Amino acid sequence: MTLLSLNGLTKTFETPTGPVHAVSDVTLDVQAGECLAIVGESGSGKTTIANMILGILAATSGEITFDGQALSAKRSAEQRRRIQLVQQNPLSSLNPKRSIGASVRLGLDVYDIGEKSGRWGVVEDALDAVGLSGDMRTRAPASLSGGQRQRVSIARALACDPRFLVLDEPTSALDVLVQARVLRLLNDLRVVRGLTYIFITHDLAVVRNVADRVAVFQSGQLVELGETTQIFSAPQAAYTRQLIGAVPVVDAAELNLRNKLAEGV
Amino acid sequence: MSILHIKDLHLGFKTLTGHVDVLHGIDLDIAAGEKVALVGESGSGKSVTARIVLGLLQETRTARISGTVQFDGQDINAMSARDRAGLRGTEMSMIFQDPTSALNPMFTIGNQFTEVLRRRDPKLSKAASHARATTLLDEVAIPDPARVLGAYPFQLSGGMNQRVMIAMALANTPKLLLADEPGTALDVSVQAQTLTLIRDLVEQNGTSVLFISHNLGVVREFADRVYVIYRGNIVEDGPTDALFANPQHAYTRALMSAVPRITGAGLPEVPEVSDDFLAPRISHGGAL
Repeated sequence: MTLLSLNGLTKTFETPTGPVHAVSDVTLDVQAGECLAIVGESGSGKTTIANMILGILAATSGEITFDGQALSAKRSAEQRRRIQLVQQNPLSSLNPKRSIGASVRLGLDVYDIGEKSGRWGVVEDALDAVGLSGDMRTRAPASLSGGQRQRVSIARALACDPRFLVLDEPTSALDVLVQARVLRLLNDLRVVRGLTYIFITHDLAVVRNVADRVAVFQSGQLVELGETTQIFSAPQAAYTRQLIGAVPVVDAAELNLRNKLAEGV
Repeated sequence: MSILHIKDLHLGFKTLTGHVDVLHGIDLDIAAGEKVALVGESGSGKSVTARIVLGLLQETRTARISGTVQFDGQDINAMSARDRAGLRGTEMSMIFQDPTSALNPMFTIGNQFTEVLRRRDPKLSKAASHARATTLLDEVAIPDPARVLGAYPFQLSGGMNQRVMIAMALANTPKLLLADEPGTALDVSVQAQTLTLIRDLVEQNGTSVLFISHNLGVVREFADRVYVIYRGNIVEDGPTDALFANPQHAYTRALMSAVPRITGAGLPEVPEVSDDFLAPRISHGGAL
């Protein structure tokens, strides 16, 4: 079943030096329960697409449909709470003056979700779901490690009981061991809670292991869309092959695959 | 002969509540022309090691440093602050993680080049400096160097700024280049180009490199030899091929197993932090 669809989505920014086409005529569907990776370089339009899905930016033209309903940037609290964001750098995305618990609770108050008396319970459940103990809720972000902070960001998103998460480089600020744990957590949550993900990243090795499908963007245009296994066995677009060719690899099997896929670039 | 010889380096910080030990006796050597990587997670002590080599942490009043750090035969810890400052930007230089924040936003690239070149040659004229900077920018494959010299960092892309930083770092043909996660702030393809560029230039000039990173893939592609650091101790070291083909230490193995592969096989089971990570150092040899 299609949960989210983008139809001819376009965003043009007017600047003093002329229009910038950040996203041009993008059409794609995201199936319920899948993890769709969006890859591309800086300026390829990844984050602009995310911002339109989240309702932070209004599209210049085209439409977004979520669960059968049209979504514009002006949307109801009920629509907003169902699509949540996890950002790259948890140190700058969490308010340093707010306790962990207050940050996680904020969405519940803003969207007025559930009875007031039950909200701290929801916060503790959300922290529990990401492997943090409930008594951490009084602590400040600065007293947590990078991995713990990113778990808080995920808990903050989960507290609103979303159906869809936009993950914008959720692990690229983390060390490799911590990254592996957070990726496993995200994978488990998706299965257990029946969530749907858009996973924005430029780390193709991560994409290979977490995504069901991959959408490759270049200069605001969708240049390739396919199953992950297909993208990593027979990439069609030259740009996709170029991206794969730039991945740093650690063993001989990877090196062979990369050289094979990047041929002709 | 070693360009950099570090022996039994200890570092601690005096804090309000007592003393925190950060480095517990590091040994590390870099031969002339050798590219050596120091790999570890945040807080393992890689960046402070670089700051000691640069002579910067010695200026911090709360830092307690002991052990030997010899650069080109001279003991860095025994030098005066002024002599240490004299080495920076001439005999040793640094490439930072985020080029756009490392360059001064208030000065043109050309002016920043002049400042760098005058560290070696204080009487260098503006015209001569521009001519030299043009050649240097040409070497890092920057098209239209004249335009770039007149530009401010914000007018250039991240990749261009990174190239400018590389050109500046190598402008005075240093004996040692320290690179702290170069390119991590950039896209994969720009990062790959950056690494190739640094490698070509240091090989051409015979510059030694201390390359600091937490990205094992990048290290494998760049370094001749690798040191793995964990909580202030070197836990494993050896030639890059030997270490990647046959990691021995529990911590190195854990790191390797946690790297997602483009060949697939799903997300790895990550071993929990164990006491084995603190096991004694394993060396594959290969150092001078």
